[in-house]
Amino acid sequence: MNRLLAILFKISLAAILAFITLPLLVVIAASVSPTPAVTFRPSDWTLGWYAALWDSRWLDPFLLSVKLAATVSVASGVLGALGAYSVAYAKCPGHTAIMSFLLSPMSVPQIVKGVAIVLFLSSAGLFNLLGTPGLVVAHIVLTLPFVVRMAATAMFNFDKRLDRAARILGAGPAQRIRYVLLPLIRSGLFSGMTFAFILSFNNIPISVFLVKPGQTTLPITVINHLEYSLDPVLAAVNVASLLFILGAILLFEKIGGFSAQFHGGSK
Amino acid sequence: MAVIALSTSQSPARRDLSVKTFLPLMAPAIVLALFFAVPMGMMIGISFQSRDAGALTLASYSRFVNDGLVLVGFGRTVVMSGLVAVCVTVLAYPLAYYLARSTSRWRTVVLALAIAPELAGVVLRTYGWLIILDDRGFINSALMWVGVISEPLPLSKNLFGVVVGLTHVILPFGVLSLLTSLQGISPNLERSAQILGASRLAVIRHIVLPLSVPGIISSLLVGFTMAASAYATPALLGGAGFKVMATMVYEQVLFYLDWPFAAVMANVLLILMLGVAFVGSRIESRLNQNLHL
Repeated sequence: MNRLLAILFKISLAAILAFITLPLLVVIAASVSPTPAVTFRPSDWTLGWYAALWDSRWLDPFLLSVKLAATVSVASGVLGALGAYSVAYAKCPGHTAIMSFLLSPMSVPQIVKGVAIVLFLSSAGLFNLLGTPGLVVAHIVLTLPFVVRMAATAMFNFDKRLDRAARILGAGPAQRIRYVLLPLIRSGLFSGMTFAFILSFNNIPISVFLVKPGQTTLPITVINHLEYSLDPVLAAVNVASLLFILGAILLFEKIGGFSAQFHGGSK
Repeated sequence: MAVIALSTSQSPARRDLSVKTFLPLMAPAIVLALFFAVPMGMMIGISFQSRDAGALTLASYSRFVNDGLVLVGFGRTVVMSGLVAVCVTVLAYPLAYYLARSTSRWRTVVLALAIAPELAGVVLRTYGWLIILDDRGFINSALMWVGVISEPLPLSKNLFGVVVGLTHVILPFGVLSLLTSLQGISPNLERSAQILGASRLAVIRHIVLPLSVPGIISSLLVGFTMAASAYATPALLGGAGFKVMATMVYEQVLFYLDWPFAAVMANVLLILMLGVAFVGSRIESRLNQNLHL
């Protein structure tokens, strides 16, 4: 009985993992298949669809998405660190209430935030902010709470005796922030910024309201095409952008070294 | 130490400092006030306006309750989100249980497979399901080639396709919420029950499942709220034949330009989510109390 159960459990695990990986494998297979019908014969595979990506049709949205995600990640990083400093480190008066305000956008669904921002820009007569400027502020609103939370966690855990020790040794406020606080919250801040980058790069529910012709992000360009066809070039776009995200994470990890946080979680 | 800290925090010099502690906060607070709080307030205001932005009216709200198509869309959203919540939790549970208990070297692989798809973004995964479920897709062309069916099965552009796609998208979040809860259950409880003669099935039914109810609730909550507000998956796998609140809001804003009605729909969606989250957290805290007493 117990043996049968263990086997059943393993089979269901395998089935669930197959369910998770199947769509990813299918897209990868489609991106190297010569025809829109997916083929699993390696001898027919081609990289032609990837070559077709070198075209302003795909490059322009890609570059816009990269610039957007980079701007949003840096801006949210700076704003998030400032907010977390006041709330979690300096513990300004009313810091719990202010923290909930800073985190409040998280409890509003993305699509509702998108509607609110597009209605605000339109009815306030700020039509010229639609497109890139609108995307930047909307994505900052989306990602800032996550960065604040991760940076604040790092600052809550910060041992204030280190700061006192630096002060006793004669370090000024700027030096203490630069040489004591920042290095110690760096990994928390960087994981927040990485998260902000991914969230912005892949975003659909907010971007969909703010893009305009000529200023469209990559995911929106892809879904606009997907509504009409299952063109294999779209598979190549998707796989390429996944590879880009993985590369970006490795880069962030190289600069920020945040994975120590996950491995050494129970220090 | 505590006394000294308390007394200095009330001295006048310290109060001066507290103004300084607000300064760094200004930048993020202003950004959020201007581009989150004000837009949210305006959206609520617009929902009470008539379409030409004139008089205050409840017209858009009464249209919401009287428009059959809109109500069907609302009903679809609730049914779809409920189904996704259940599917996510059922599929996530074995994975989370394995991840919480296993010490084998496969654990890392399973964890990576369970979480990594999250990086791929919604479009890639939805595209994968489109290739699989489309009328000319993978499953249908295989079945037709074998000759089991002559007409393609309706696998996409309906409830089934959307639920499959959303379950796939939300599954990692379900795994994470269940994992936290399952990791909190001491394996010793299971071991002692087994030593006392309980079968594996009895251990799961009478120990693991009851103790993980808070995790199950939070997985259901995550599943429901994420599904109810998802846009891309219902838009692509549901299409024109299966419109939900999120896709209808989008149409109101960009095609019909009916801002008050779009605002009403967004508000209803927001209230639905906050309501579900509130009820869920009440149940959770009650359960937690019972568990600890």
